[in-house]
Amino acid sequence: MSQSPMPQSKIRCLLGMLGTDVHSKGIRTLAQLLRDRGVEVIYLGEHNTARGMINATIAEDADLVGLSFSTATYLHYTRDLMEQMRAAGLGDVPVMLGGLIHADDEPALREMGVRGIFGPGSTMDQIVAFLQSATGKTLPSGISASGA
Amino acid sequence: MSVDSQVDTQDADLQLIDALARGELRIAARLITRIESGDSSVASILSKLHARGGNTTVLGVTGPPGAGKSTLVDRLLQQFRHRGQRVAVLAVDPSSPFSGGAILGDRIRMNQHSADEGVFIRSMAARGRLGGLAVAAGDALQVLDAMGWDLIVVETVGVGQSEIDILRHAHTVVIVQTPASGDAVQSVKAGLLEVGDIFVVNKADTAGADRMQSNLREATAFRADPHDPACWLPPVLKTQATYGSGIDAVIEAIDAHTHHRLTHPARWAQRLRAQMRVLLLEQLIDLQRRRTVEDPAHQQRFERALDEVLARRCDPHTAARKLLDASE
Repeated sequence: MSQSPMPQSKIRCLLGMLGTDVHSKGIRTLAQLLRDRGVEVIYLGEHNTARGMINATIAEDADLVGLSFSTATYLHYTRDLMEQMRAAGLGDVPVMLGGLIHADDEPALREMGVRGIFGPGSTMDQIVAFLQSATGKTLPSGISASGA
Repeated sequence: MSVDSQVDTQDADLQLIDALARGELRIAARLITRIESGDSSVASILSKLHARGGNTTVLGVTGPPGAGKSTLVDRLLQQFRHRGQRVAVLAVDPSSPFSGGAILGDRIRMNQHSADEGVFIRSMAARGRLGGLAVAAGDALQVLDAMGWDLIVVETVGVGQSEIDILRHAHTVVIVQTPASGDAVQSVKAGLLEVGDIFVVNKADTAGADRMQSNLREATAFRADPHDPACWLPPVLKTQATYGSGIDAVIEAIDAHTHHRLTHPARWAQRLRAQMRVLLLEQLIDLQRRRTVEDPAHQQRFERALDEVLARRCDPHTAARKLLDASE
């Protein structure tokens, strides 16, 4: 192993889905790609509630939260989560969205406080750049997505 | 350090300990993050926590990947909560040796407790810490201990020595196997067999469950001494954690082991000493490694020694001894 064995400050990213959306292929793929870029992904899977996500964000001391949506309910669920996060004092934790997000909804999502939006066609490099700028932490460089 | 800043540190530490005792989750979570990232400024607080620590019973759960550890823990949590116990869980998962990243997915299996204030779940990645993993996990357990939970569960994949070493922090160790875990010879990794207090054959509805159970009984029988009433014979139980069957018996066994521990203090003191001996040794090795390898001042010397070994001008034993001498 060429890396330093010294433990370091890692990016800890919570990934999960809210509501009844079961199209988890995208978020599972993202979890693996982020792991291969050196991120510690706390994977919550499907069917989470806003309350459950907030508790996980606190207990895991997550640096940011990523949500995936493949159904048209994302405005409702995201607004609810953002409001509850602010009420819980987590307003400073960046939130990013991915999946089937329509470009027309982006201004509304930004207004709710969503910091990163990654719809179809987004690249890993864009997501990784966002992770680093949003958390102020750097990921190890020179790791290919295949992890080899 | 000046007297003033020492006083400041003392005050800050005591405030932190108060906050932990009040159960302030965010403060605890952030302290665990500092422990995870190897922040040396946590030393003074950890020292204070150790002095007051050791109050909460720690239940260790381990087994091979996919054996159903998290599902079993989820079911146990249900029962503990039913009895009104407030429980903290530390779930340790491996990191990728290639990227240093990890997918920590144990929470999914425990999702039904996600909104329960009486359950605190924290995931921890191994982070290629070599032997230091058990030390870091032990420090995180100290933080949970200071929060006054009724019970702490530490869950880890029983694959490597450092993962098994984590179990040395536990008062009771549950080893989870499945009928697919291999034959009589390889069913339980050497090392796991010795640390287990309770053995569970999960997925008991699949073929070979009875055989696995009798294999485990045979393998653990050597620990039974009929002439020694202080001897604990590990029970071997069958469960189907997904359906919740067999869980009551596991809870009874955990209670029985706790009772046995409390009624045989001399035996327990012996085990505690053996456990602490290993942990202290590990801490020493970790410290020495940091001193000789990770300290930038010594890194160059280490690389030069590596060159010598590669060129076969020096053998690894001599090179290591020289490095050790030089770090004094």
